[in-house]
Amino acid sequence: MPRIDFFDFFRYALGTVVTIYATIVTLQSVWGWYVWLAGSDKYISLVRRYVVVHGLRLRIRAFWGDVLICILLTITFFILWHAHHLIYDLGNSLADLKTVRNTHEPRLIQSNQSR
Amino acid sequence: MSRGSSNPTNPDELKLLPDALHATAGLPAAPSSAALTSSLPASPQITATTPPARQLVDRPQEELEIIAEDLGLKPRLYKTRQQLISAIHARRQLIAGMNREAMVDVLRWANRPPPPGASKETLAHEIVSLRTMRFEGLTQRGLVVLAALRGLEVKGDEPIPLLVRRLKRQESFFSKINRKRRTLLGAVVSNFIGPAAASPSRPGAPSDATAEGRSLSIKHEIEEAGLFGGLAGRIKKSADGYVNQKLDEIEARIDRKLDEIDRRLAEWRDKEIANRILILKITLWASVIVGLFSLVYSYIQIHFPR
Repeated sequence: MPRIDFFDFFRYALGTVVTIYATIVTLQSVWGWYVWLAGSDKYISLVRRYVVVHGLRLRIRAFWGDVLICILLTITFFILWHAHHLIYDLGNSLADLKTVRNTHEPRLIQSNQSR
Repeated sequence: MSRGSSNPTNPDELKLLPDALHATAGLPAAPSSAALTSSLPASPQITATTPPARQLVDRPQEELEIIAEDLGLKPRLYKTRQQLISAIHARRQLIAGMNREAMVDVLRWANRPPPPGASKETLAHEIVSLRTMRFEGLTQRGLVVLAALRGLEVKGDEPIPLLVRRLKRQESFFSKINRKRRTLLGAVVSNFIGPAAASPSRPGAPSDATAEGRSLSIKHEIEEAGLFGGLAGRIKKSADGYVNQKLDEIEARIDRKLDEIDRRLAEWRDKEIANRILILKITLWASVIVGLFSLVYSYIQIHFPR
């Protein structure tokens, strides 16, 4: 029988729903902007070039501290993810050991007593 | 089909008519077009697609005289109509062979900036309308163009003093007298209105014109264009200067507004990106904290089972 932890279930369900929702909304927005800026109208091409120019004029130096923090937090997040896997593997190994012990220990005791 | 044949009125590619060529060279008149056509071998039927342009020979005498005056010719010097047409053709060929930059030099020197894309004939009309006999500041090639359009025979490599001397010698006696009279009148008017008003600065004048052109006082303007012409020219210049100044102010205001809009957009962009990064950072912090909590929870659950 599968062991269901409600805390894990809540986290995975929430994470899945929120990820799918955010992905769909982001893709919709990006697609809308792409279609609008890809128009062949004279003024749209002007806006397109203006957006490109603004992108080129963007100074990364103003945000590089926050960007670095975001990168470090992302790395920390993946390390924690990996640590979860290690903990779960450890738990499974302990559970298996306990099962083996529960199954074989009575038999060993029985065989020793019969001798 | 060549460009000249598709656009016969193009002044840059003018060619003498056969009749005019013969008349200029003193040869007997060329055969008529019917005779020319009959002398050609039989050809397939030619269908005219567009009506031919109106030739000089088809124009009335008054119109020819106006064209000749526009080109700097004196129509009364040509006794017959055919001579006048030949002279117009010759003058047009002379203009077509002129150096465009030299013509522009003359107009800039005269504070008459040439309109962009103007043909050589248009530039020549402007140059012909210059009556001045003061040539200070004009380049050698500009003097050559001016002398050629005033009817002098020039080779193109004459020095400036020689060209000036020949131009002054070419002026007729009565023209000189009239010019002196206008100079006197100009001096009287200039003294009357005062030296400050006689040569005001021109705030709206184009920068290249002010840099290269000569600055004319009211005295010189009256000398060139007469009393009313000089005063009207001065008023027109003042009005032009005022309008140009106002247009510059409007342009500068529009530029300032555009810069302001651009600056605000850049600020909005930076603020928006900073907000997005902050939201991302908060989300990542929350994920990491919840992940740590989950890790501790999992560890306790495994090591201290119920």
